[in-house]
Amino acid sequence: MLSAENISYRYPKQSGFALEGVDLALSAGQTLGLLGPNGSGKSTLIKILIGLRSPQAGSVRLLGDKPPVIAWVPQDYAFYPQLTCRENLQFFASMLRVSAAERALRVRRVEQSCMLQEFADRLARRCSGGERRRVNMAIALLQQPDILLLDEPTAGVDPQARAFLLDQVRQLAQCGTAIVYATHYMEEVSALCHQILLLDHGKVLASGDLQALLRGSEATGAFENLEALFMHHTKRSLRDSTRT
Amino acid sequence: MSTFMQAFNIAIKEWRLLLRNPHGLTVLFLMPAAFILVMSFALKNTLVASIELPATGWVIEDTGRVAAQWTEDWIGRNGGVRLASRAQLQEALRARQVQAGVIVPSQWLDEQGKPRADHVELWFSNHVQPAAANRLRAELSYSMLQVQMKVAAAAAGPFASILLGSSSSTELLPASGTLKIRYLYEIESGRKMTAVQQSVPAWLIFGMFFVVIPIAGVLIQERGDGTLTRLATFGVSPAAVLGGKLLAFMALNWTQLFFMLLVGRWLVPWLGGDTLYLDLPVGWFLVMALATSAAAVGLALLIAAYTRNFDHAAALGGGANVVLGALAGIMVPRPLMPPGMQVISEWSPMGWALDGMQAVFLGAPDAAQIVPKASLLVAFALLCLLLSWRPIRYQGRAD
Repeated sequence: MLSAENISYRYPKQSGFALEGVDLALSAGQTLGLLGPNGSGKSTLIKILIGLRSPQAGSVRLLGDKPPVIAWVPQDYAFYPQLTCRENLQFFASMLRVSAAERALRVRRVEQSCMLQEFADRLARRCSGGERRRVNMAIALLQQPDILLLDEPTAGVDPQARAFLLDQVRQLAQCGTAIVYATHYMEEVSALCHQILLLDHGKVLASGDLQALLRGSEATGAFENLEALFMHHTKRSLRDSTRT
Repeated sequence: MSTFMQAFNIAIKEWRLLLRNPHGLTVLFLMPAAFILVMSFALKNTLVASIELPATGWVIEDTGRVAAQWTEDWIGRNGGVRLASRAQLQEALRARQVQAGVIVPSQWLDEQGKPRADHVELWFSNHVQPAAANRLRAELSYSMLQVQMKVAAAAAGPFASILLGSSSSTELLPASGTLKIRYLYEIESGRKMTAVQQSVPAWLIFGMFFVVIPIAGVLIQERGDGTLTRLATFGVSPAAVLGGKLLAFMALNWTQLFFMLLVGRWLVPWLGGDTLYLDLPVGWFLVMALATSAAAVGLALLIAAYTRNFDHAAALGGGANVVLGALAGIMVPRPLMPPGMQVISEWSPMGWALDGMQAVFLGAPDAAQIVPKASLLVAFALLCLLLSWRPIRYQGRAD
């Protein structure tokens, strides 16, 4: 469904590469965990995959009979706090190139799937963190994506809201949506993803089947869990990111 | 869904955001309305062609008959009071019983019996309008000239004396206050020039340029939380974003315009001020309103696109508006500026807008008055949009 080959990207006026020689392949229904410390290049990779940035080297190919629809759930609450949740949905739906009836239908559907009905008429700025995360997700789902890119979608939410969002990601994957899930929470990746891509300083440190990676090599031995694998590859030094 | 429909839906969203921003609406509507009210009353008498003489107190130190007669004639004709001394005059000025004082010193007349104009002293209170002071000085000069003519005629012989003696002073030389003064505006429109007719266009323009505050607020928020980037992932182009904002805030400008016209037409006269005449040349009025609005929104988008945060935008936008307003003659009318400043003033966007709008509000404009100013404003708006395009495009792709 989506394949990225040898992606390299350097920000203007910066000497080092934000991404260097990154490969990635994603098929329908697959959930790929994108891991890496702050500044590792996760968000840059997501922006390249969604077409917001063009790599200086390498290419992103969308596969299939018709180009798949890609949607993005950003890390920030990227909607209007002065509008109600429903007004936000209606506004973003009005940006889609579909009929008015189809827009209304999609708004109703995402309200139901993300369980927004109870607070749909509340101003977004008056919603809790978990409710806002669901609105953030619902806006992306208006596009009915074939590929969904989530950038730390559960940051700062309570366990209930997190469980709900994870369930939703699982359901989407079961329905055939390909998912890239960027996060710092190892347990979420362990629960959701079969494949992972571990980045640091713009380079791929590890990628492939999660269980195979956890088994390790002769040199490293088996890893107790994903966090041990992560720390082994990225080391313990603190990262002060300026740009991701 | 065409780009135009996306822009239209963005415009509707902008209006929703505006209606939920009472502070922004206060700046856009109440501030210019308050300025119109204040300036319409503050400038009320400065634009009236016939300035009234200030109430005058007379101190006659000259003991001659001519001085006494001259004073009585004046008071009989123009009003005023006789006071015993300079100290009494000073007290009357302080107490605001009179606004001006005329002191006729001893030996006011020279050896030939002609009045010495440079001997007369004029005192004014601190509150008298310069135009009223000038009128009193002019009237006194005329009056002394009349006295001088009578003295000269008496000296010329019995025949001239008989001729002049049969005429009153005012028939010989009419006082300046009786001269009919008409502004071009009054000649062309048949109406009187008033402060409200000048204040409404000036402060309306000033208010229209203040859209920078809400525009910057929304754009900087959209940029900061990634909404602009998200819109790009929905296939929304920078053209639709800019177009939507242009549409929304130009509509806002038109609402401001309507509101300010109501203030001038009904609120100012209701509070005792002059009435704004609204039988304007509609076509030229629409051309100027459209061009001014485009320039105002264009400048606001430019400032919002290049500033990093709302405080920066508010300070830069508000400051720029005040400076542009002062330069254009919004705060200090252009006729009061020195010639050099007047030339500079003609080369600012608010100055073009003010020239065009005043031509509409204060006369019978033609294409030569309106088209160059409207063209400059539209060119300025296009330049601003062109310069805003790149940062908005970039910001839409990188939060």
